[in-house]
Parts: sequence; structure tokens; C-alpha cells
Amino acid sequence: MKQTDAVIRFEHISMQFPGVLANDDVSLEIRRGEVFALIGENGAGKSTLMNILYGIQTPTAGSVYIKGVRVEEYDPKIVIGQGVGMVHQHFMLVPSFTVAQNIVMSREPRKHKIFFDNAAAEASVRALEEEYGLVVPESVPVEDISVGLQQRVEILKALYRGAEILILDEPTAVLTPQETDELFAVIRRIVQEKAMTVIIITHKLDEVMAISDRVGVMRKGKLVGVHETKDVDARKLASMMVGRPVLFDELERTGLVGDPALRVSNLQVCDHRGLPAVRNLSLELRAGEILGIAAIEGNGQSELIEAITGLTPVKSGRVEVLGKDVTGQDPGEIRAAGLAHVPEDRLSTGISAAATVAENLLTGKQREPRFNRFGFHQNRAAVRRYAEEVYERYDIRGAGVDGLAGDMSGGNMQKLVIAREFGFDTPVLIVSQPTRGVDVGAIEFIHSRIMEKRNQGAAILLSSADLDEVFRLSDRIITLYEGEITGSFRAGEISKEEIGLYMTGSKRQGGTAQ
Amino acid sequence: MIKQKINVKYLISLGVSVLLAFLVGAVILLCTGHSPLEAYGAMFSGAFSASRHIGDVLEYAMVLGICGLACDLGSRVGIFNVGGEGQLLLGAIAAAQVGAALNGVSAWIVIPLAALAAIAAAALFALIPGVLKVKLKVNEVITTIMLNTVAASLCQYLAKGPWKSSNKNLIAATEQLNVRYWFGGLMRGSNLSTAIFAAAIIAFLVWYVMQKTTIGYEMKLTGQNPRFARFSGMRIDRKIIVCMAISGAMCGLVGMFRVYGAEHLYRSSVSNDYYFEGLMVAMIARYQPLATILLSLFFAVLKIGAEGLQQVGVPNQIYLIIQTVIIFFMAAQGGFLEALTQRRDLKQILKAGKGAK
Repeated sequence: MKQTDAVIRFEHISMQFPGVLANDDVSLEIRRGEVFALIGENGAGKSTLMNILYGIQTPTAGSVYIKGVRVEEYDPKIVIGQGVGMVHQHFMLVPSFTVAQNIVMSREPRKHKIFFDNAAAEASVRALEEEYGLVVPESVPVEDISVGLQQRVEILKALYRGAEILILDEPTAVLTPQETDELFAVIRRIVQEKAMTVIIITHKLDEVMAISDRVGVMRKGKLVGVHETKDVDARKLASMMVGRPVLFDELERTGLVGDPALRVSNLQVCDHRGLPAVRNLSLELRAGEILGIAAIEGNGQSELIEAITGLTPVKSGRVEVLGKDVTGQDPGEIRAAGLAHVPEDRLSTGISAAATVAENLLTGKQREPRFNRFGFHQNRAAVRRYAEEVYERYDIRGAGVDGLAGDMSGGNMQKLVIAREFGFDTPVLIVSQPTRGVDVGAIEFIHSRIMEKRNQGAAILLSSADLDEVFRLSDRIITLYEGEITGSFRAGEISKEEIGLYMTGSKRQGGTAQ
Repeated sequence: MIKQKINVKYLISLGVSVLLAFLVGAVILLCTGHSPLEAYGAMFSGAFSASRHIGDVLEYAMVLGICGLACDLGSRVGIFNVGGEGQLLLGAIAAAQVGAALNGVSAWIVIPLAALAAIAAAALFALIPGVLKVKLKVNEVITTIMLNTVAASLCQYLAKGPWKSSNKNLIAATEQLNVRYWFGGLMRGSNLSTAIFAAAIIAFLVWYVMQKTTIGYEMKLTGQNPRFARFSGMRIDRKIIVCMAISGAMCGLVGMFRVYGAEHLYRSSVSNDYYFEGLMVAMIARYQPLATILLSLFFAVLKIGAEGLQQVGVPNQIYLIIQTVIIFFMAAQGGFLEALTQRRDLKQILKAGKGAK
């Protein structure tokens, strides 16, 4: 069965983790010179498969062939030597080192065999840039360049080590639409001109359609299908991933926009280093509308939300919830004024991982009379009943309400947070990264819940790194760049491509949002 | 279900640690030419040989238990009170001085006032690291440890200077209490006094609040993830400060119990690093109140039994060896078990994939 053009061959790979079969008899061939997209929900086994290929993990059964040679020892060092490179989702760069130093790391040019030769390093990086047409500022520290450029540095690092097969793990998660386009152009170039092979792990289906030649879909550890990309569409891929038809239909919008529920005026907030993160920002959010924030990470959206919800001090300006000034109050008081919050980082802020699911669902309501006897004795039976009911209603899946919250999968953890926060029935909802790391099926569920809240008259402030999500849910969109509003649009008024220009600060409207 | 699983794991690791500690102790005994069987036999029979020994076991268990619970209470809200020793000493000397100064006044007035003085002195002293932690994010482990020395020196000064006993034979002690104020002894010849009933009530209250109430639930979440607790609207700063004060107050009361129940005046022997032993018990009990109480009894048996060892010519330091070796093995196993679970978690994370973001 050996084909000449198979650069990577997985034969009957199985990977057994305690209690979980992460890869279940996966056989797959990747051809030389193609862009292969590997898609699947969280826990479908795609990262495990790639970790096996990259030598991080040893499969419990089956074998991997790289360029026809069977991998005997699973060790990244050996695999890298065979021409496999991987760009992880979280970049592995030393922030204080220059671009060139990062690229040559582990194979540094030396003077007299001892001293690092910076000039030679930069020269070889320049040669590399020329060869592949990927331009980077060689002598600038990595911490001073954009995320898109950092990714390019990662790619060059792999190329420097002689990679012919490049694995990209969720490469577009942190990129703007423009940067994504540039990345795709780079991928096309290295594949066409240098006959490289690129494997992309992703869950963004339109990107699969845009860049890949072939696509493999994984579900529950199994490879459920491999197709030529031109033979499938996004809807079909989504159904294959989830194992049932997925409706990507327009969400129904009903109800009328009401009175202002959240008003932020001239807000200034500093980040944890004391540097200005939100600059003189004003916005108004009305009942029955979703205001989406489109911004690249690190442009003040986190600080804005933390300041509104009381987690971070306000330097100056004013925050009003339902007409009540809550500036500088603690989160408890702000919640009492009529606000609930789905935080961007559920593990550090949204749950207590060491507490049970029931305890996590209770938080915020623990002082309600129905959960207390004599005002202080916790009524565990009532807590349990309540938790089980919510668990059921929000379709949370896991070890039940007595299981530890930290043991749940990311998607279910997120459902838990959403169940709890939406359960407060507050007029104002702050929703940050509602579907980060969440499966397609759960995304659908969470989106419809958000829309339901909007239609019931809640005022929702949505912040998401996923531009598709912002576009799908928002009635209005504002763009943030370096802590300032650079644009304010009605839904449908602007395209994703154009909004990217506002997100990067290359364009801006005159005034502020309303 | 999950709770049970953890408990079983814990009990196994505790049992193994105790067994290994006795084995290590046996090796040391053999090396020094003693028969381990004889020594251990003397140890356990010593603890129960006479009613006064049983009384001492109970008194010591009380001291360990309340100190351990004080530590549990702090750790529940995420603060590690290492300063209980100083808080205990301050409580002891404050209570002793109230008794000495009010000599002649009715016991119904003196004893509550002494208790209040002990609570106030120790709680205020414990507030220093609590407030520093909350307001200035100063690490409480460092401040509490340092303040132990401050408290010990202060007590030493007071006991040698302004509050010194008129008895010339006592170098550093306060005036002996009027017999009318002494807590009634319960077992002849032992240090056990009626203070144990007060201690039992305190222990029950602490257990009840921590395990059964809504405020205990909030405390637990505060300790587990303070950011989440604050995010959810809990006043975590206030909780940390209050728990620190109560933890200190408990230590102060132990000091008072030692003075009014056993020593009948303040001198440095009211505590011989008892808080640190209680803290070790709390650590072995993984800061669980019920386990802290039960293990306090176990270690009190060992401690008092070890004193009887000297009669068979074995130095009682063997007790300390066994206690520390248990902690060592518990910690090692804890680390081992954690490493195992972390590996599992890591694998799960790898498996769950980089789908996040």
C-alpha cells in the first residue's frame, strides 16, 4: 500500500490514556506538497495525533512513517531531524531575545566554538527570509513585535531547523483577518515554491475551505473521514465533526431596544503594570441589544470589562448600571446593582476548580433563604436539588453535580459558568469569550442562550477574540485599539475585512461610540 | 463519591506513613541498642498506664487540637498562620496578668475578663499579619513567623520586668494565680482541667462553621480561588482578616487554658512550641477539622507515652522523630500522588487538545 507521495503515514494508531481512548485505530496519509487540515471538536484526538507525529507521545499501538521510514523512537529531537516542525498555539519564544536569537536557538552559530555569533545568526536569518520570502525584523526583541510576526518567527524557527513538514496548531486563533490572509499567503508560497507539506489543526471551517487541499475530520478519537476540500462544504464538515446535523442558521432576533442599562463615560483604566489600558472610553448599552467588542487581544477589552465589573480599579471616569453609579465599587455591589459576568478566563476567575459542580453553581445565590436554615446552616439538600435542575437544563455533561468542577471539560465548564451567570436574570450581562475552546455543538447552544437573553430584554456586552462570533451575535460593534474606540458600527454595516483595519488602528472614525 | 475516593487515598497514605515512621523509629532504636518492641510497648502502655497519664494525654490533645483547628481555620480562607505560638504566649500572659491584677475579685468576673484579655491580645496580634496581607499583599508566612519572636520577647520582658512575680525563686514568671481562679482538675495528678469542656465547645463550633454553614462554604471558596470568590461578590478581604483574628483568638485561649488549667502562672513553659506541633497535626490532617481533632488524640498519646519511655532508658526524642518522619512521608506521598494526578491532568490537557482559544 506504500504510495510514493505519502510523506507521513499513520498506520492503525491508537493512544490509550487512563480511561480515555484518545486515538482509536487512526490510519492516514499526508501527501507531499499539500495543505492538510485536521479538524475536530475538543478531545477528538487531533492534538494527540499531532503530538505523536512530533514525537511528544508514544502511541500504544500502530506506527508512524515519516518519508517512508518507520519511527522507532518517539522523541521530538529525532523527529525534528527528519524534517518535521511544529508551531504550537502558544508560542515558545523567549520574549527578551531578538528575533534572530530566537530563530537560531538550539543551533546557534558560534565564534571559536564557544561564543554566540550574533552577526552570523542575523545573516543566516536574512538568508532564510530571502529564501522563503518571510520578512521579520531580525534584531528586534520578540516582546516588541506583534503576535502575527511572532508566529512568523515560529515558522522561520522551524524552517531554520530544516523543516519540510510543518504542523500549525490553531494558527489563526490570535490573528486579525489581515494577518490571517498574510499567513495563508505564506503557506501557499512555501507549499507551491518549496514543495513543503503543511498540516493545520483548526476548528474554523471557513479557513479549512480557504486554505486546505484535503481535510481530515476526527471525532471521539476516530478519523471519521478524509475528503478533498473541493468536495465538501463547511456545513457538511461541521456535521461530521459533531456527528449530527449542525444548524448554522441565522439566530432569531425579537424584541425592542429599550432604555440605557449600562453607561460608561470617559473611563480610564490601567493594566497590572500601571500603564494606561483603557483611554477615555465612553459607551452606552441599551436593554435588548448586544454590543460586541472587536479587538485584538491586549487592546484594553479585558481591562474595560474588569473595570466595569469591579475586578480592576477605575482610574477615572464613571460606570453606571441602570442609572446607578457603581464606579469603584466591589464586584458584589456591582452585581447587586443588576449585572452578571461571564469572565474571559473561566479557570482562574469563573469557577473554583477544587469545589464541586453543585458548589460552583450555587455561588452568588448561597445566601438566598431557600439555601439556608435559620439563616446560616447550609441546606445541602436544597443546593443539590437546585444544582441538579440547572445541570439538566443547561445540558452540562460530566461526573454529575458532586464531581469536581476542575475535572470537567472546557466546554462543560463554560456551560456551568453560563448557567450560573445567566441564572441571576440580571438586566445587564457582560459576556467575555463565551465559546473559547468550546465544541461546535456547545457553541450553538451558548449562542442561542445569549440571543434568548437579548430577546428577553437583557443588555449584553460581548467581547470575543472570535470575530465570527462578534458578527453573528452583535447588534452593534465597536472596535478597540490600544484602549480607544476606533470605530462603531451597526451590524451589517461593515465587513470583516474592513473592520480589521479599525482593529489594528490603521483606520478610525472621528468620534466615540454614541 | 469523589469525596470518599479522596478519603480512602488519604487514609492509605496516612496509614503507610505511620507504619513507615514506626519502622524508621525501630531502626534507630535498634541502632542505639534498644528493643523496639519493648520501647513501643512502653510507649503505648505508658500513655494509658495511670489515670494521670490519660489526663495528660487529653490535656495535650486539647492543646494540639485547638492549635491545629486555628491553623485549619486560617488555611480555609487561604492564609497560613504560622504565628500561633506567639499568639498563644500573648494570650497566656494577658490572662495571667488579669488574674494577678484582680486578685481577690470574684472568679465569675476574673475568668471571663481573663478570657477576653487573652482573646483580645492574641486576636489583635494576629490582625497585624492579616491586615498586612490584605492591604499590602505581604506574605503572611513571613510576618507570622517573625512576629513569634516579637511576642516571645515581649512576654519574656513582661514576665521579667513589669509583671514579674514577687516570688524571688521565679526568674521570669508572673504572679501565681489565686487558687480560687484555677480551673478544676479532672484527673488527679494530671494537667487535665475543666478547660477541656470549653475546648470541646470551641472545637465543635469551628467544625460546624467550617463544614456545615453558608459562611463556611464562602470561606472554602475564598481559600480555593480568591479571585473567583471576589468575582462572585464575596468580601474576601474581610473574611481573611476575621478568620485570622479568630485563629489568633483560639491560640490565645489555649494560652489561657494552659495558665488557668495547668501552670497557674505565666512562664515560658506554658507552651513548648505547642502551636507548631498543632500545626504539624493540621498539616497531616490536610487541614480537615475532624481529622485534626482525631489526629491530635493520636499524637497526644505518642507524646505522653514517649515521656514514659525514659523509664526504660530510651530518650523521649523518639517521639519527635516519629512525628517528623510521618510528616515527611505524608509530604513525600502527597507529592508523589500529586505528581501522578498532575501527569494525568497534563495528559488530559494534551489530549483535550489545543482547541482552546
